[in-house]
Amino acid sequence: MSQRSYYKRLFLQYCAFALTLCVSLSTGLAEGVYDYLSEEELYGDFEEEPTVVRDPLESVNRLTFKFNDFIYMNVVKHVAEGYQKVTPDAVERGASNFFKNLGYPVRLMGNLLQGRMKGGWLETERFVVNTTLGVVGVFPAANRFERLQPLKSEDIGQALGAWGIGEGPYLVLPLLGPSNVRDLFGLVGDRAVNPLKEPFSVIGDSRVRTAYSVTNFVVKSPTLMRTYSQMKDGAVDPYSSMKNGYSQMRRGMIKE
Amino acid sequence: MYSRMNFLSMIASVALFAVLPVQANETAKLATTMEATLDIMYLDAYKDYTSAQRQDAVRAIVEDQYDLEVLIRRAMARNWSLLTADEQMQVRNLIDQLIVKSFVEGMAGKDRPILDCGAVIEVTSKRIEVPVVISFPSGKTFNVLYRLGLLKTGWQIYDIVAEDISIVSNYRQQFDDHFRKGNGAQLIEKLEKLLKQEELDVTTIIL
Repeated sequence: MSQRSYYKRLFLQYCAFALTLCVSLSTGLAEGVYDYLSEEELYGDFEEEPTVVRDPLESVNRLTFKFNDFIYMNVVKHVAEGYQKVTPDAVERGASNFFKNLGYPVRLMGNLLQGRMKGGWLETERFVVNTTLGVVGVFPAANRFERLQPLKSEDIGQALGAWGIGEGPYLVLPLLGPSNVRDLFGLVGDRAVNPLKEPFSVIGDSRVRTAYSVTNFVVKSPTLMRTYSQMKDGAVDPYSSMKNGYSQMRRGMIKE
Repeated sequence: MYSRMNFLSMIASVALFAVLPVQANETAKLATTMEATLDIMYLDAYKDYTSAQRQDAVRAIVEDQYDLEVLIRRAMARNWSLLTADEQMQVRNLIDQLIVKSFVEGMAGKDRPILDCGAVIEVTSKRIEVPVVISFPSGKTFNVLYRLGLLKTGWQIYDIVAEDISIVSNYRQQFDDHFRKGNGAQLIEKLEKLLKQEELDVTTIIL
């Protein structure tokens, strides 16, 4: 092929390219492929409806929220900071793992009540591996096995939700924070199946029970305060932010 | 033969790009923007920056790529029309500052996280989602979903869902509750008060 005919062919190819580009673009526009979101679609209440939370007890809830906020910011925050200051990270992680492992009965029941037999079995396997190889749950030994990766946490409140029981009015529980009527019943159920907590605790001595509960609380306090601060800081109305955040989170957990 | 194949593939790709808005690039664009904002926080070149300077630099990067007004107006929803034009502008600027300030102050003192942006999920021809996993060296990870809509100005973020919590829904609830009893002037007052707070930590939401 001569150089001239090569350039001629190249020229024709680029003409065809330009023509195709124009035709494709005009076809795309004509068919509405470049259909943009309208103002109504973008700023109206479309598919993602705002999370509607029933809150008939708002005035009482707001008062409880203020009380909790005072306790969190003046007591729990300092407990969490003090605990983090005196505890090496590795010990902190170990303690957190230990108490998480002890939450196994609640997770097992949450799975079983939702008919998630596989989940219940995996939780059992994880508990056995963590308790034995992981030295009473201090080390998350099960994480080393590909098949035994952590599952999303399940509880009885989630099981009630999965059964189709409505969440009921939003509640703020003294010291415990955001909840709703369904989750309050779930919380009672969680305690009932947990052999380390009342009313059916296997720990006979009330002082040991108290020591267990206090230690568990202290270990959880940094996570609790981190979550609390993240929801509260930057909020125009911290009460509303917490209400919405909690409800979205629980609905998401139930949907999964 | 090669030349013909080349020519056909060129036409095919042109036709494809004409039909599909360039969605695949959105992951790269989002990742680049996020990394650039993290650079401001962690690179040595910016270590002498004050918090205010970092906020300005982060704002410049974000606003160069995305229109934050979309997020703000989506969060305000019907309440936007309750504001005067002047109030709308003030609210927009204050929330804009709040978002950037929260990010800068929330990241201060933390180690640089690793971002893992997933592939674009096409919801409709006008809406896509980009999942991002943010992993901190402490071992904590956050799943964040960026929702983008196709506007005349390009793909814009219209919601951020962090660990199942949509920030648009969350702020919409707050604004709805506020406007049940309050007005625009009171909202501006609240936002100004928030901006004066020394430390804000909403990293999981804003990232």
